[in-house]
Amino acid sequence: MNLRRAAIFAAVLGALAAGAMLLAGANPIAGFAALARGALGGERQISETLVQTTALLFPSLAVAFAFRAGLFNIGAEGQLIAGGLLAGLVGAAFVAPGWIAIPVVLAAGAIGGGLWGGVAGVLRARFGGNEVIATLMLNVIAALLANYLVVGPLHAPDVAGPETAELPASSWLPVLLPHTRLTIAFVFALALAGFLRYVFARTVFGYELRAAGEAPHAAARAGIDLRRTALLAMTLSGAIAGFGGATLVAGVLHRFNVELSPGYGFIAIAVALVGGLDPLWIVLAAFAFGILQSGSLTMQALAHVPKDVVSVVEGLAILGLSARRFARRSPDAA
Amino acid sequence: MPDLIGFCELVLVKATPLIFAALAGVLCERSGILNIALEGALAAGAFAAVAASYETGSPLLGAVAGVLAGVLVCGTLGVAATRFRVDQIVAGTGLNVLAIGGAAFGIVVMSGTPGVTPEVHAFGPSGEAVLVILAMCCALGLHFALYRTPWGLHLRACGENPEAVVSAGLDPRRIRVVATLIAGVLAGLGGIFLSLGELDIYSDGMTAGRGFIALAAVIFGRWTPLGACAAAIAFGALSALQFVLQRAGVPSELLQALPYVVALAALTGIFGKSRAPAADGVVF
Amino acid sequence: MALAAASLELRGIVKHYPALTALRGVDLTLLPGEIHALCGENGAGKSTLARIAAGKVQATEGTVAASGPVGLVHQHFELVDRLRVWENVVLGREPRRGGRIDVAAARERVRDLSRRYGLAVDPDAVVETLPVGIAQRVEILRELSKEPSVLVLDEPTAVLAATEIETLFATLHALAARGAAILVITHKLQEVIGHADRVTVIRGGLIVSTGPTSETSLGAIARAMVGGDVPPLSARAATVPGPAFVAANVSAGAGAHALRDASFEVRGGEIIGIAGVEGNGQAALCDAIAGILAYDGEMRLGERALPPDPAGRLAAGLRVIPQDRRREALVVAWSVVENVALGDHARTPLRRGWNVDRGARDAAARRVVERFDVRTPSIRTSVDSLSGGNQQKIVVGRALACEPKFLVAYQPTRGVDIGAAALLQSRLIEARNAGAAVLLVSFELDEILELSDRVLVMYRGKVAGEFERASFDRAHIGALMAGGA
Repeated sequence: MNLRRAAIFAAVLGALAAGAMLLAGANPIAGFAALARGALGGERQISETLVQTTALLFPSLAVAFAFRAGLFNIGAEGQLIAGGLLAGLVGAAFVAPGWIAIPVVLAAGAIGGGLWGGVAGVLRARFGGNEVIATLMLNVIAALLANYLVVGPLHAPDVAGPETAELPASSWLPVLLPHTRLTIAFVFALALAGFLRYVFARTVFGYELRAAGEAPHAAARAGIDLRRTALLAMTLSGAIAGFGGATLVAGVLHRFNVELSPGYGFIAIAVALVGGLDPLWIVLAAFAFGILQSGSLTMQALAHVPKDVVSVVEGLAILGLSARRFARRSPDAA
Repeated sequence: MPDLIGFCELVLVKATPLIFAALAGVLCERSGILNIALEGALAAGAFAAVAASYETGSPLLGAVAGVLAGVLVCGTLGVAATRFRVDQIVAGTGLNVLAIGGAAFGIVVMSGTPGVTPEVHAFGPSGEAVLVILAMCCALGLHFALYRTPWGLHLRACGENPEAVVSAGLDPRRIRVVATLIAGVLAGLGGIFLSLGELDIYSDGMTAGRGFIALAAVIFGRWTPLGACAAAIAFGALSALQFVLQRAGVPSELLQALPYVVALAALTGIFGKSRAPAADGVVF
Repeated sequence: MALAAASLELRGIVKHYPALTALRGVDLTLLPGEIHALCGENGAGKSTLARIAAGKVQATEGTVAASGPVGLVHQHFELVDRLRVWENVVLGREPRRGGRIDVAAARERVRDLSRRYGLAVDPDAVVETLPVGIAQRVEILRELSKEPSVLVLDEPTAVLAATEIETLFATLHALAARGAAILVITHKLQEVIGHADRVTVIRGGLIVSTGPTSETSLGAIARAMVGGDVPPLSARAATVPGPAFVAANVSAGAGAHALRDASFEVRGGEIIGIAGVEGNGQAALCDAIAGILAYDGEMRLGERALPPDPAGRLAAGLRVIPQDRRREALVVAWSVVENVALGDHARTPLRRGWNVDRGARDAAARRVVERFDVRTPSIRTSVDSLSGGNQQKIVVGRALACEPKFLVAYQPTRGVDIGAAALLQSRLIEARNAGAAVLLVSFELDEILELSDRVLVMYRGKVAGEFERASFDRAHIGALMAGGA
């Protein structure tokens, strides 16, 4: 992580964002100020920023996990939706004390996302199908499937909008800060980041994943089963994203609806890249992008800067980072 | 049979943006650039066309702007890939997010409210027909150019073994950039058709994954212009089928999903295996 | 004899790369009508000099002056496999009719070149389907179509059988007789003595000797290449034959380079050398043994059949040193430690439950570095920054560390300097002395004859002949390698 380069990169992005704001007829200084105030201006704002951070952290870790295994998982959005959908359905279907209900709902999310990632994994492992195309297709299919189910067969009976029934309160994730949306999902996300770092650095499984991603031919000759690795990596990656979707359902919305994700799965690609595919740096990157997400609404309301300027910045970030070679060195390299 | 002519028209209308995008994809991949930014190029072309038509009142100028926007997106990928040797998948993803986000931003700048632009002067049926015929001509023209001309030979060699092209005294990087620029024109035309041909607005998310379907069409069509064109027409037919079946009560989302599911199935090799150009996506 | 004006003159060539300096001030003159050999170890700078001479690479300093176009035939051909012969030959200089390519004229141009230079090829064949020797002709024709006054060939005989080598040199002599200057980069000193008019030796980026071949000897050239004498190899001990690796009627792969119904046996305590030109099924054989290529037939180690997958074979004490270390053996971005662990990483002692055992891994890496004299700043250094020779030492060292029952070594000294090559060969002999069964595949006949207890000749995927050490017959072996009897 070259700090000077990172600083220049951030400065360029900032300048381009300012330019976009001028184009929209807004004052960039007011825009940035509103962004900062909206993201960090008070306890409630910071908690909301952390909510966005958490929402981004799960799919970002999922994307990084797959990327390190050599698989371009562009489908975190679809896996997130699939997981959220299953979690919403399961959660609304029964009532139980929290210590039973919550793990079940979260597990449902992991299973839903895992299945969605698994489809791409099977296509890759069994048929050699390109996972970029597969996950891109699956994204759209997931969105369409969700649209169909929540408007049609699984529509909540007494609600106007396209959504499932609300989860019983016992299934809601416990809140960390009263009167905010910040739940223990945040803690889960941080723990997951630490756990993944450990997996890659210390475990045989992580070593094999990295080998498959860096040098597939050498890995195969070393006895690593590439097809099994690809399938596992895509499934686990999807499961992580789906788990994230479940935390959105059980923690933030308390139901599933089509507004679940404003594209977290795509922004996650930017976050994973900015974080250099390293779980610890990804936490910081998710926080930075969380600021953008949560501040953007304030920026729009107060400074009249369209919140889409954030998408523009994210796109530029991904584009700018495509030049970086993520040559993944050994964890304890000299 | 209710309206066979009408159905065929619908198929062509649905297929035309796919044909343009798929031809763009074939051109890029045959030269060695894996272009997943077709979606963004379509969106950029569609939005720019509407924006220019709004400002000037002329759909023709809108078309010019749309083409330029497509060239900008694809050309950026080409330059990034050859001059800066970036990872093409990551860069393509970035361009998609940038273009679609930029277009959404642009909607607000144009009309003050998000989501949809105001209506603009569009092409109308005659303009639509011109574009449809143009798409077919481009498919034939690309086929001829790729397989009969020196330029086509150089381009195909680039996609298989750029080192050999260097040995022959040519510059593979320049060839690839030119390929992406022409692809940008094609993608821009596809975008124009979406916003000024079929309709007269740009709405956020209008491209609806067509750029990705085009990628599937490229694979189906075995990386050949005529094959990709045929695959695009097939996907267009699936899309048109939607309207017919919808009246029969089949849920629209299921039908909308059909092209994507078929593309997934294609990945299993069930429709036959084909090989991508050997240097496709490889950094040179 | 009056010296004609030079065909090619290189003066003061310096070439810096970010990681190293390849050439440190080289002067070289080529005269029309001569065949000039350029010899040196890997990493000495030969290929870089060739590319600079041909204008493919810019020198950092110095001048290149040629009396006409310079053609370059690469060691690894730069042809477009999926295109046809005529398309490859005329690429960049296509005959045109209107806007289109004049295909008939292109074909005719190929036939014309074939006739003129005596190199027969089918203009419409797809390059992918051609045998290696013929594909090389296509590359040569492509360069000849530029009407070069200088033709540079980089290790041209590495992939050819003896008769094809003869044909190639006949062609080169004919070209020289017409006035072209030929520069042949080779480390096959027999060919240098046999065919070259002058020989230049390059070492460490500098010219160390140059002069007529009539005034030097094989030994002198070798000494100049190494800068001293080659260290002797370990002694061969008498061994008791151990359990054998048996291959029975094994067929693998498809096409020209397939393995067809090969049967042989390698006993513990012996080195079996596979002699043969590259592309006669050796790669398929090694990949089948490694477990990554499906095959028909039977393979046994001792009494037991080999497990079907690579992991099982590694666990059974089988090790394969593959031909492309950067792609098939190492993870170049990783440290020495992580690379040494690769292959044994999933078994104790290198693992402890779910986790890797760092202490055990470090110890294993240190043992390899010590025993194989790997020059590296630390065991945590990234393998990428080591030289090719040191990388290969890690690959071989790792394979021998577990005292394998059966070792397959495919070109174990490829791209390795002579000193390191001698060390690796010594370690192979020591493994043999200790009872391992060793299968050695090499395209250097000298290496095969030096190391092997028995030699098997492979031709077109089959075992064409077998020779005991006591009665190695170079001429007979060479004939079998070329398909004779």
